[in-house]
Amino acid sequence: MSFDHIMSVTIGGLTVGMIYALIALGYTMVYGVLKFINFAHGEVFTVGGYVAAFSLLAMGIDASTPWLKVAGAIALALVAAVTVPMALGLLIERIAYRPLRGRSRIIPLLSAIGVSIVLQQLIIIVFGPKPVTIPTLALSSASVNLFGVDVRVLALVIIAVSAALMVGLTYLVKSTRIGKAMRATSQDMEAAEMMGIDTNRTIAFTFLVGSALAGIGGLLVVMYYGSLKYDAGFLYGLKAFTSAVLGGIGNIPGAVVGAIVLGMTETYGVSVDLGFLAWFVLAGLALGIYVQMVRVPNRRLAHIAADRRTPEYERSIMNVYRLAPYHGIKTLLAERTDALLSVSAADAVRLMAGNIFLAVLATIMFINSSVRIDTRWQPVIAFVVLMVILMFRPSGILGEAVTEKV
Amino acid sequence: MAIRMKTSSGQDTAPTHGDTVVQRIASAVPGWVWWLAGIVIAAGFPLLNVIGVVETAWLRVGVVSLIFVLLSLGLNIVMGETGLLNLGYIAFFAFGAYTTALLSSPKFEIRWPFLAVIVVSTLVAMVAGFLISLPTLRLRGDYLAIVTLAFGEIVRLTIINLVPLTNGPNGITGIYSPRLFAGAKPALEGIEAWFIIDKPLEYYYLVLVCVVVLAVLLTNLKNSRIGRAWNALREDELAAISSGITAVRAKMLSVVLSAGIAGFAGSLFAYYSNVISPESFLFMQSVIVVCMVVLGGMGSIPGVMLGAVVLQALPQLIREAAGAARSDFEVYRMLIYGILIVVMVIFRPEGLLPDKIFKREAHEVDPRELEMTRQSLFDLEEGEKDLGV
Repeated sequence: MSFDHIMSVTIGGLTVGMIYALIALGYTMVYGVLKFINFAHGEVFTVGGYVAAFSLLAMGIDASTPWLKVAGAIALALVAAVTVPMALGLLIERIAYRPLRGRSRIIPLLSAIGVSIVLQQLIIIVFGPKPVTIPTLALSSASVNLFGVDVRVLALVIIAVSAALMVGLTYLVKSTRIGKAMRATSQDMEAAEMMGIDTNRTIAFTFLVGSALAGIGGLLVVMYYGSLKYDAGFLYGLKAFTSAVLGGIGNIPGAVVGAIVLGMTETYGVSVDLGFLAWFVLAGLALGIYVQMVRVPNRRLAHIAADRRTPEYERSIMNVYRLAPYHGIKTLLAERTDALLSVSAADAVRLMAGNIFLAVLATIMFINSSVRIDTRWQPVIAFVVLMVILMFRPSGILGEAVTEKV
Repeated sequence: MAIRMKTSSGQDTAPTHGDTVVQRIASAVPGWVWWLAGIVIAAGFPLLNVIGVVETAWLRVGVVSLIFVLLSLGLNIVMGETGLLNLGYIAFFAFGAYTTALLSSPKFEIRWPFLAVIVVSTLVAMVAGFLISLPTLRLRGDYLAIVTLAFGEIVRLTIINLVPLTNGPNGITGIYSPRLFAGAKPALEGIEAWFIIDKPLEYYYLVLVCVVVLAVLLTNLKNSRIGRAWNALREDELAAISSGITAVRAKMLSVVLSAGIAGFAGSLFAYYSNVISPESFLFMQSVIVVCMVVLGGMGSIPGVMLGAVVLQALPQLIREAAGAARSDFEVYRMLIYGILIVVMVIFRPEGLLPDKIFKREAHEVDPRELEMTRQSLFDLEEGEKDLGV
C-alpha cells in the first residue's frame, strides 16, 4: 500500500462523499421538518444534472473554448441547475406532499415514490434515454500536484464548494430568521403556527434549499464524470439517504459526516486490498469489545435500584457481559427469574455474536489479504451499510435530531 | 375479475346516504355472487381463445396477470393488512424463481418433480423473509420500507454478480416444463404428454386454481384472529400491543407468509417463462406490485386482485389500441403508474374496491360513520337520550 495510492483514494472518497452530502442535506432537512422520506429527491438531483449538461451543450462549449467563456457558461449552467430543481421542488411539495400532511407515515412515502417514477420517466421523455455527455473541458481534466500525488482540480473544487455550501447552510439554519422558523416547524408544527410562523412557507423554503443543493450536486457530478444517466438519481438518492441515516437523520452536520464516511467506505472498499481493510474491521472489533465489556454493562448497572445494589448482584451482571459465552448463555437458558439479568444476558449474547462475527471477518480478510473486492460489488456496499446501520443503530453516528410527537 | 365483497365480516349494512343507484344495486347482491361471477369470467376467458375470438398473446397476458395477482395478494398481507411497506418484495419473487430455475433446468442437470420444486421455492423465499424480518421489524414504517428496498437491490445485484450460480445478467435458460404426477404412468408414452404443462392454456388454469385457493385461504385468514391482529397493528400499534398482541411475532408471520406467496408465484413464473434473468426483478417491478395494491385497495382481497389484472392487462390493451412501439410505450406506462400512485394516494387512498376498515381509517372523519356511531349509541342508551350523548 503506497502512500500515493492511499492519498488518491482518500481524495476520491472525499469527493464522492461531498457530492452525497449535498444531496443528503435535502433528505435530512425535509425529514427533520416533515418526518418523511422525500423519495423524489434523487430525481431532483438528476434533473439538475441534466439541465446543467444541456445548457453547457447548448452554449457550445468544448475543449478549445477560452477559459473566460467556459467560466461564464458554467455560471449560467449553475443558475439553470439551481432554478429548475428549485421550481421542481416547490411544485412537488405543493402537488404531491401538502395534501397528505398529517397522514400516516407510509402514505406520503408512497406519493413520493410515485413522484420519483414520474420524474424519471419525464426525464426519459424530455431528454431521451441515452446518458447525456458533455465534452471534456480543460478544467475537468486539469490536475495539480498535492503532496506528490496528482489530484484533479475539479475534485478539490467539489470539496471546497460543498464545504462552503455546508457552512452557509449551517449559518442559514442556526442564525437567520427563516432558519429559526425551520427549526421551530421541525420541533412542533402546531406550536410554531401559534407563534405566528407560516409553516407552509417554511416547508416550501426547506424544499427550495434542498432542491438547490441537489441541483448544484447534479452540476458537479456532470462536470466530474462527464456524463449522467436518467436513472442515476435512484442510486445517488439512496446513497445520500444512507448518508443521512448514517449520520443521524434530521441532523445537518450528521448528514455531512455520514456522507463522508459512506464515500470513504465505498471508495476504500474496492480500491485497497482486504489486508488493509482488515485493520478497520479490527478497530471495529476493539470498539465492539469495549461496548460489550464496559459501556453497556455500566449502563445496565445504573438501572439497578439502590436497595438491590449489592456487590454480588453487580458482579453477576458484569460476569454475564464479560463471560457471555458461558454466563450469558447459561443465564439465557435458565428460568427467567430476574428481568434485568435476562435482558442483560440477551444483550451480551447478541453483542458477543457481533464481535465474533467481526473477529471471523477480520481473520478471513487477513488470510486473503492480497485479494481486492471487485468494483462490480461497489453498489452493494452502500446498501449493506444502510441495512447494517438501520438494524444496529438507526439513530446514526451523531444521533437523530428529529422530535417525535406521540 | 370484478369481484366485490360487501363486508368482510358478513354483517349486513344498509345502503347509506350518498350512494349512487349503481352502488345500491351492487350492495344488494350477495358477496358470493360477485365471487362466482369473477371465477366464471376468469375461467371462461381462455375459451374465447379456444374458439378463436382472441389471440394466444392475450392468453399469455392472462397468465402473467394471474401471477401478478398472486404477487399482489402476497404483498397485500404485509402492506394492506399489517401496514408495513415492503419495497423489495420482488426479491422474494426472485428467490422463488431462481430456486426453481436451479432445481429444474439444464444448468446443473437437475430435474426435481414439480411439486417438490414449488414447495422448496416457497420455503426458500420464506426463510429469506424470516431472516430479513428478524432484525428489521423493530424499525418504524418508513425505515422498514427503505431496508426492504436495500434488501431487494442487494439480492438483484448479487444475482447479477454471482455468475457461477445464476449466469449473471444472461439468466438461466431452458427451465423444464412442470410434469404433474410425473412417472405415474411411465409406460404409456401418449398419456405422459397429457401430464406435462407447457401450453399457455394449461398454465392459465394451473395459476387460476392457485389464485382461487389462495384468495379463499387469505379471506379466511383475514377474518381470523391473526388477520384481526394484523389490522389492529396497522391501525394503532401501541393499542394493539396493549391488547395483548405480540407485535413482532404477528408482523414476522405476515412478512414470512407474504414472502412465501411471492416465492410460490416466482416458481410458477420461472416455469411459465422458461427463462429468467435479473431483468425481471428490478426495483420497478416491486413498485408495480405496490401500485397494484394501492390501486385495488390496501387490505381488500378482491381489490388487489382487480388492481393486478387492471395494471397488467391495461397496458397490453393500450399497446394494441395505440400500436405504439414497445420501448416507447414502456416509458409512458411507468409514467402513468407513477401518476396513478400519486392521484390514488391523494384522492382515493382506500383504492377501487375498498376494504371497509381501511376506508374508515383513510377518511379520518367520515360523517356517515359518525352518524351511524351516534345512532348505535342512541340504540344502546335508549333511556339516556335526553342527556345528549
